[in-house]
Parts: sequence; C-alpha cells; structure tokens
Amino acid sequence: MTEEPSETTADLDAELGFEPVVASSGAGDASSAPSVRPSRRRRRGLVRRKLGAFGVLLCALTAVGGTYAAFAASSGAAQSTDTAASVTHGRQLFDMSCITCHGANLQGVKGRGPSLVSVGGAAAYFQVITGRMPLAQQGAYSPRKTPKFSDQETRDIAAYVQSVGGGPSIPSGMVRGDDASIAEGGALYRLNCASCHGTTFKGAPLSAGKQAPSLNAASDLQIYTAMLSGPESMPVFSNNQLTPTQKKAIIAYIQNIKASDDPGGAGIDRIGPVSEAIVLWVVGVGVLMVVILWIGARSQ
Amino acid sequence: MSTSDDEMTRAGAPHGTHGPVQKHTAEELRAMTPEERMIAGTEAEDIHIVHRRDRFPIRGTKAEKRAERGVAACFLIAAIAGVAFIVYFCAGSWKWHLPGTAQNFRFYTPILGGLLGALLLFLGVGLVLWAKWLMPEEEVVQERHDFDTTEEDKLMTEATLSVGLADTGLPRRGLILKSLGLAGGALVTVPLVALVGGMIKKPGDQLFHTMFRPNKKMFPKSNGMVPIVFSDWRQVSPDDMEPGAIVTVFPGVRAVDANGFDGLTSASSPTIIIRLRPGQKVSYRKGQAGFAWPPSDPQYIAFSKICTHAGCPASLYEQQTGRLLCPCHQSQFDVLQDAKPVFGPATRSLPQLPLTVLTGEDGRQYFYAKNDYPEAIGPGFWERP
Amino acid sequence: MTATTNPPRRDNKPRTPQGKAAGWFDERLRLAGPMRTQLNKVFPDHWSFMMGEIALYSFVILLLTGTYLTFFFDPSMAETTYHGSYVPMQGIQMSQAYASTLDIAFDVRGGLIIRQIHHWAALLFVAAMLVHMFRVFFTGAFRKPRELNWIIGLNLIMLGIIEGFAGYSLPDDLLSGTGLRIADAIMKSIPVIGSWVSFTVFGGPFPGHVIIGRLYIAHVLLIPGILLALIGAHLALVVRQKHTQFPGPGRTEDTVAGERVFPIYAAKAGGFFFIVFAACAALGGLVQINPVWLFGPYQPSAVSSGSQPDWYMMFLDGSTRLFPSWEIRLWGHTLPPLFWPTVVLPGILVTLAAVYPFIEAKMTKDTLKHHLLQRPRDVPVRTSLGCMAITFYLVLFFSGGNDLIAKTFDISLNAMTWGGRILLLTLPPIAYAVAYRVCLGLQRHDREVLEHGLETGIIKVLPTGEFIEVHQPLGPVDEHGHGQLTYAGAPVPKRMGQLGAASPVKHIRGFFYPVKEKPEIQAAIDEQEAREAAALEPDPSGSVENRTRELTD
Repeated sequence: MTEEPSETTADLDAELGFEPVVASSGAGDASSAPSVRPSRRRRRGLVRRKLGAFGVLLCALTAVGGTYAAFAASSGAAQSTDTAASVTHGRQLFDMSCITCHGANLQGVKGRGPSLVSVGGAAAYFQVITGRMPLAQQGAYSPRKTPKFSDQETRDIAAYVQSVGGGPSIPSGMVRGDDASIAEGGALYRLNCASCHGTTFKGAPLSAGKQAPSLNAASDLQIYTAMLSGPESMPVFSNNQLTPTQKKAIIAYIQNIKASDDPGGAGIDRIGPVSEAIVLWVVGVGVLMVVILWIGARSQ
Repeated sequence: MSTSDDEMTRAGAPHGTHGPVQKHTAEELRAMTPEERMIAGTEAEDIHIVHRRDRFPIRGTKAEKRAERGVAACFLIAAIAGVAFIVYFCAGSWKWHLPGTAQNFRFYTPILGGLLGALLLFLGVGLVLWAKWLMPEEEVVQERHDFDTTEEDKLMTEATLSVGLADTGLPRRGLILKSLGLAGGALVTVPLVALVGGMIKKPGDQLFHTMFRPNKKMFPKSNGMVPIVFSDWRQVSPDDMEPGAIVTVFPGVRAVDANGFDGLTSASSPTIIIRLRPGQKVSYRKGQAGFAWPPSDPQYIAFSKICTHAGCPASLYEQQTGRLLCPCHQSQFDVLQDAKPVFGPATRSLPQLPLTVLTGEDGRQYFYAKNDYPEAIGPGFWERP
Repeated sequence: MTATTNPPRRDNKPRTPQGKAAGWFDERLRLAGPMRTQLNKVFPDHWSFMMGEIALYSFVILLLTGTYLTFFFDPSMAETTYHGSYVPMQGIQMSQAYASTLDIAFDVRGGLIIRQIHHWAALLFVAAMLVHMFRVFFTGAFRKPRELNWIIGLNLIMLGIIEGFAGYSLPDDLLSGTGLRIADAIMKSIPVIGSWVSFTVFGGPFPGHVIIGRLYIAHVLLIPGILLALIGAHLALVVRQKHTQFPGPGRTEDTVAGERVFPIYAAKAGGFFFIVFAACAALGGLVQINPVWLFGPYQPSAVSSGSQPDWYMMFLDGSTRLFPSWEIRLWGHTLPPLFWPTVVLPGILVTLAAVYPFIEAKMTKDTLKHHLLQRPRDVPVRTSLGCMAITFYLVLFFSGGNDLIAKTFDISLNAMTWGGRILLLTLPPIAYAVAYRVCLGLQRHDREVLEHGLETGIIKVLPTGEFIEVHQPLGPVDEHGHGQLTYAGAPVPKRMGQLGAASPVKHIRGFFYPVKEKPEIQAAIDEQEAREAAALEPDPSGSVENRTRELTD
C-alpha cells in the first residue's frame, strides 16, 4: 500500500473521462478526493493478501487481545480484507484520536460517544474520511470538515473498527455503475434519496437543527459507505434493500449529474424556484426599473 | 401667424391663455405648412403644444451627426447580432452528452440568448435614443374633458330606457316576465349542468380505501392479504432491512383498478416500513395494538407515506430520533408515538398499516398487509370523521 | 411664413403613394378623424407609469413563445418510455407530457431557450403586475373614477397567478406534480364539497389521467382568452379616462401633460417593448430555469426536499407552513387545517384589496373625482397600511422558502417556523408605525422648507451671541420672513440648486421662460430665419417651392 492514492484516482478519472468532480467542487476538501475508489493495482494486491489473511488476522487479533477477539475472528473470516498491520496501525490512530469518546475497546463513553462495536468499517470510514470524526463539538449535526487522516490512515482505522465485532465493511472495487445504469440509478435516487438530499443533491434541514447534507463534495465510496452504514440521522440501506448493483447505479446517477454541465445557461446552484425568484427580482425587475428611470428621464 | 405661433412653440406659453377652439376651414388649412396644420389638428381637440423645440435647429451640425450615427450604430449592432444568431442557431453544437465529452452544448442556449438579447436590446435602445436625441422636444397639455353627463342627456336616456321598457309591457305582463325568467334560468343552467355534469365523479368510499384492501380472488394463497413489494415488484422480507432502515413499499397488486392504476402507480398506496433500532420502543394507538411486527416486540412498523396535511410523501426519516418530516410544509411526525404530529401544521397521525409475515415458497419470510389502513390516508376532507 | 405667401393647393387629391393608400382606407373606414385623435393622445411621462407596460409586454412575449411551445408539447398523461437524447432518463417510464418537455429541451434545436424565455416572461409578468399595483395603490390612482380598473387589475393578477400555476404544472415533473398534489389537498379541504371538487377536477382520485389535458386547455385558451379580454378592458379604460399624473405646473385635474403618442411616445414605448423582450431573452438564454430533467417524472411515491412553487405562489406555501395545526372536527366531519391558509387567507387578501377603494372613500368621505396622484407621504394612513400589507406578504413569502434559509444559514427549521409565526404577527404593526412616522417626517420637512426656505449651510453669529443658519426662501416672504408658498402636492426642493417641481428641465422646459440657446446657435437660428424670410418675401413661384417643402418635411 505504498502507492500515492491521489495519483491513482486521477488516472482512473482520466481513464473514464470524468473530471475530478469531487476535488473541484468540494471547498477545502481536496484531501478527501483521493478516496474515490481503490485502484486496480491495489485491488490485485488486496486479492493476493486475502489468501493469507485469515491466519494473519488471527495473530493480529491475539495481539490486540480483549474480549472481542472471537467476534472479530468470525467476521474477519467472512470479510478478510484487513491486514494485521493495518489493524495495528488503525488501533494506534484510534488510541490517539478516538479513545476519549469511544473508549479503549470501542465500547463507548457515556455522554460522549456511542459504542462502535460491530458498527463496521464502512461507518468508520465514512465518518473519518468526511472529517466528521473526530468531532469538533457536540451538536445536533456534525458537518463535513477537512479530514484529519489520510485515506490510508482512515482505512486503517476502519480496519480496526471492522475487526471489533464486524458489521458492514468497506466495499472493494468499483462502486460506480456504468453509463447504462444511470437512468435506473436516477429512478432509485428519486424514490429513496431525494426526499432528504433533494433531486439536485442540495440536502435539506431536518428537525431542530439536524441536516441532510449536500452531496456536492461526496465521493463514490463516501456515498456507498453512507448508504451501508446510515450515519447520524440517515437511515440504513442494507444490501438486501438496495442491492450493490442498485447502489452503484445510484452513485453513477449522482456523480454524472453533478459532473454534467447545465444546458440552459447558469445553473444558479440548481436550487429551483427560490434562486429563480432572487434572479427575477434582483436582476430582471431591477434592470427594468433602471431602464424605466432612464426612459422616463428628460434629456437635455 | 408665424410670429405668434413661433413664439408659442419655441418660447412656450402659459397654460390657459388659449381661447375657444379655433375652427379652420379647409382653405385655411391648405394654406398652412404641415407643421401648422398638425398644430391646428391638435388644437381642434384641445391639445396644446406648450413647448416644441427642434433639438438641432441648425441642420447638419456635428452634434446632430453624432447623435444620428449613435442611433444608427445601435440598429447596426442589432442587425449584426441577428445575423450571428441565425448563423449560430444553424451551426452551433447543441446535442446533450454525458460528462466526459466536450459538453459543447452548454454554450448553445447562452450564446443564442446573448445574441437574441443583443438584437432586441440594441433595437430597443436605438428606438429610445432616436426619440430622446433626434425627435423634437415636446411638452403637450391635453384637456381632460372629464365632464359629468349633462342633465339633459341623463333625462333623455332615462326616458328612452323607461319608455322602451314600458313598450315591451313587461312591468304589466307579469306572466311573460315570470316565464321569461324561468326560460333564462334554464338557458344558463343547462350548459352549466351539461359541462359540470359530464365532469363530476363521485368520490364514494374511494378515499377510505387503498389497494391494501384484502382481495381473496387475487391472493388466495395468503387468504386475501396483499403482499408488500419494493418499487421493482420484489417482495419485501424482514431480512431486507437493517435496524434504522426505511423503505418505500407498495401493495403488490399488478392488475390495474377501475381508475387505471396498479399498486405502484396508485397515489394512495405509497407506504413506508421502518425497522426500529435496538432499544426504540413504540406505543400503539387505541385499537391498533399489534399492527407492528412482530407484535410482541415490535421491530417493523408501517405507515402511509402520504402526509395527512397536504399529501406530500412524508419521508425525511431521522433514524436516531425516529422523527419523520414532510418536505413540503415541515410537519414532523414521531414514529415511536404512532407517527403522531409533533411539529408543524399537520393535525393527524400517519395511518398505520397492520403488518404480518408469511413464509414464502422459497422458505423466506415476506411482509403482508393484514388488512387495509383502518382510516382514510392523506389530507383531510369533509366526509372524514 | 404667412397665409399669403402660401397659396392654397388647387385640389385635395393625394399625390404620394402613402397618401393614396391612406386615402384608400379613409374612403372605406372614415379613419382620418378618429386616427388623429389617437395619434395626438397625450400620455404623461413619469417613469413609474411604465411598470404596467412591462406586464403588458411580457404578456405579448408569453403569447409569442407560448404559441411556439404548443407546436412541440404533447399534453397527454399516457405512459411512455423515454428514448430521447438525455441519457439519464433513457428507458424511464414517464408521461407523454414530461417526455415532450424533455424533447423541447434536448431534441428541438433552440427549443430550450424558447421554453426558458417563456418561463422567465411568466415570472416577470406577475412581478410587473404586482409592482404596478403597488404604484397605483401608493399614489392613490385607484380612487374615483378608476375603481373599476383597480378591480380589473386585481382580477388580472389573480388570473395571472392561476395561469402561471397551470403552466408550470404542465411538464408533469416531480416538482410540479408535488404542487398539483397539494392543490388536490387544498380542494379536498373545502367544506362539504371538497372531495367532490377534487374528483371532478382530476376526473377521479388524484392524479387521474386527465388533469394535464385540462390544465393545458385552460392554460393555452381559456385563461389567456380571459386575460386578453381583461387587458383590453383595462387599457380601454385608461384611454377613456385618460392617465393620471402627478401635480405640477400645467398638470391639473383638468389636463394631461406629457408627450403625444405619435411619434415620440410610440418610439419610446416600442423601444421599451424590445428592451423588455431583450431582458427576457437574455435571462432565458443565460440563466437556467425550471430544469425539469433534473427533477424526474412525477410519481406519487417520490418527493424532493426543498420543493417550492414559483415565486408568486410562495406566499401561499409560506402561509401553509406557518399555520398552526388547528383542525375542527364536528358531528363526524372534518375541517382540515389546510383550508384556512390556502382558501380563506387569499380570499380575505383579495377581498380586502378589492374593497379598499370604497372603504377609503367612505372613511375619508371623498366623493370627488381624482386625476392627480398623491405623493405617498401625503397620505400617511394609506401608505402605512400598504407597508403593513407588504410586510405581511413578505413574511409569508420568505417563509415559503424557510427550509432553504434554515439550510443556508444553519438555523433550526423549528426556529424558522416559530420565527415566521411571530414575525407575521409583530412585523406588520411595526411597519405601520415606522411608515407613518416617516411620512409625517417627510411632510414636516416639506412644510418647513416652504415656510423657512432652504438650508444654505451659512452660519451667522448674531450680536447677542446666538448662532443661526441662513435660509434661502423659495418665494416671496411676509413681514416675518415666512414663505408664502403653499404645498401643492408636488416635490419641494430640499437642497440649494434643486428646483423641485419648478424645475424647467425636469418638468416643462421652456414653460415659464424662453429656452436660451447657446449664443452661437441662437445667432445661426436668427440668420437662418432672416434668410428664409428674405427668400419668401417676393416669391412668384411660391406654390412649387412650398409643395416640395411639404413633401420633404
């Protein structure tokens, strides 16, 4: 895992013909861009590592110790995408940054943070890579921030969380459907996602200060892990409810619409009638008021 | 007359000095210059040009030429923009493409708009400047002639009306008056009845039922209970949902009803099933105990997705607090308290669908609606108790 | 030039082609007299009188672009599968209406810009009518004898809003379909007949299969026809009653001062039409409006957060959001909470506006006809009532987008709703009080200037040690040094160098004293006149020369 992730992402984007949407639209969020999806090279590496994973993992878990080893072994056997080194490193990072709220063994600390046992790597990955964790302050809603950890460090933390109790893990491989799936993804998006995130991905306020965030800065893997884990207010969309193919189609729809240009001129943030009203009154009516003042003025 | 009139037009004359309107004979008018005739025309209608001044009394000055060139330049730019519009309209690349291509279509509409705007703008500005810079400066006062109708006119018109009415004999001939009234009433009512009558549809009890109503003919295997399906007709199983999940489901009725809608397209059928998180406890409404599943320890709970306020799909679900928001008018429902409204303009709880589970042929468990909603779904209406 | 030097023409036969054509028509239609009346008609030229013109011109633009759109739009709710150019919708089931709207955007060359011009012009149409109405209200132009036109105008605004709603519902997209569903709920909320009304309009339970077709015929024929007739009546009344004007020199209750229709006013108005059209075309091309391809086809099970109607409906959306959850249940019947903010409230607002002219006349015991406008400050009660109404409207309007405000500024949604409720009740009275104070202050300042003159900025020290500022009186003063001018309802100068209503440039140039040309130009004019006089004096062939002159003039 020594490759520079940002390079591989850029390569992949170029290969698909996509502009790096995430990097360009996410304000101050460039560092989250490299997390779009693992490269093919890395995937081959992952497959190779899978072979020995089981044994290595058991060793690692023995080293980690604790009462959760049994859980971790069983889920690790099923997923077996983690490596001992990754888990160890993840645990070190966890102990530095997360332990105050989530406890030494992920059991949570009352009044500070919930238990992370069996929440899965996907949840940990989403929370850390979008900068929501470590939390800056308790509140109704934690907004996206510049992430504290690199993509690799985040994956390590996720591997550690995954190793304790299992749960939904980070998917491997491409998580965006192909062009043929865009339309189907759109239909699923409108039925399942648009009620909170809006047809144009603007997000929405929820009750009492909570929010459904905008998807402008979200990468493929972030959307995927969010659907899997249901962070904060968001409901969980398991793989039985929305199959992995359907999830990938939804991601294909979101990312393609985000990246596509507006055919009808300035998109005015694709907000709809409210921004249209502002343009109408400020620009349309405003300009015409100036014009009637000019026509009505007596010339010398 | 030239001196006095020139005085008037160029120097202006105080209002009110005009005598009675002077009628000119055709002979006199022919003898005048066109401008004098025009002024005579205005005077004939009590319109007084109190000030009229050529902006360029000396023809061909530099200033006049500059103004003329300015106006002409506007029209010229308009013409050029028009030509450019036609060229770009025919030649521009405008077909939509997925991202990853050059996306040249994004210039098409803005450039057309810019060129069309330029054509119209410079045409309009040219016209206004023409009036402002080159046409004579003028101040005209017109008499309003807003007199009340004269007493004589009133008297004569009133008499015309009353005598005309008397001539018809209507005031005396009550029979004709009444029968005519009836005929007139019929004349107005008939088209109204014919038009509205053709459109009226009886609501009947349609608002009180949805496609979840048990149907033994259609679903004999489940004793008439309607299977619950996803938007792709897959049947919904408890296993399909993780704790904290919400899913939009429909009655699995593929046959269209009398109105031409099936289970997916009917506006009354969208329903949500929510799987609660561990530790979330629900309370039942009176008479609706056991609607959730499993009844002993409820984990799955189904409500109509149609907001009881204005009919939008209320589906912004906060899985941690169990609150459900409607995006249209921000009503908030508490799923854990029988989806009762806790904020905003909604007044009624979301109707709850009684859930049950049957084992399918493949050995998996699937959700069925034990019965139809116990009450009308969606916004309130008069007939609703 | 005198009559004697201008021998009479021998006959009255027209000689030029235009003259002959005019003669042809005149012999058949007897046009010469009435036409001259119209060409010479005088229009006052205050800038604020052009707001109504914006509405009129955008209506013309709507007719033009709307006719174009009918060539491509298919108002059918029949299900179809999309196979057009827009990839993210390919293979999706949708109505013909939505599919043909996508086609206008993606498969008709130049179709998108026309659709966008149409939509922008529609927003502008209602906005201009509203602004025009405010002008009429605040200047008292609705008073006798123009109450009828006020009511016609009110009907135009209501019909314009309904027309707009019908229009933006036609594409059958997710956003407008949500709006239609709310409209259905509003119909159902009407007591006794609600569900019957809904079933009748939709031809069965919502959404049925007929609503788009019905809205279409209402949108392209029924309502535009009524609008056209009412606009005709509105303008006919303006012509018959003649336009109002602000008071000033030469502008009295008995006169109209301004420019004649032909040619100056016609050139300006024609130019302004093109400028309004240019604004719509530029907006239509440069700013994307109602991108229905992003919203998707309507389906009753889906919704988008942040769903708002077009701006002119937003105040109703706001009132619906703010209204508390009050429902009346009596004898087995329900009166839903939706009824009050969406049926009763707009009913009250429109009724109040319609009867206001009569209420004001009754309260002020005013039975006179008025052709002169009032400055808003001179009628503080009316102005303050207007400000109060506008404030009320604005709170509702902004509440219609309160979810977006909450999201943008990170405010709790619940707080926005409560804030809107509180502001709706508290802000209007505050607006009344503030507007009233401002009006009185402005009035007082006007009177002060008339009585004491303008502030010169020169401070004098009296021998007693008292400091006073020297004032420049506007006119003659009495023995106490007080001005004798009375306020006439026209602007009063407020600074040295300003002339207020007496400004010859602003109002009537050359009305009070001759216009002075620059010396060299004046000399040239004199010279030219002398030359003309000399040339005409002994003119044996005057008739020929005059005929040529007449043609070239």
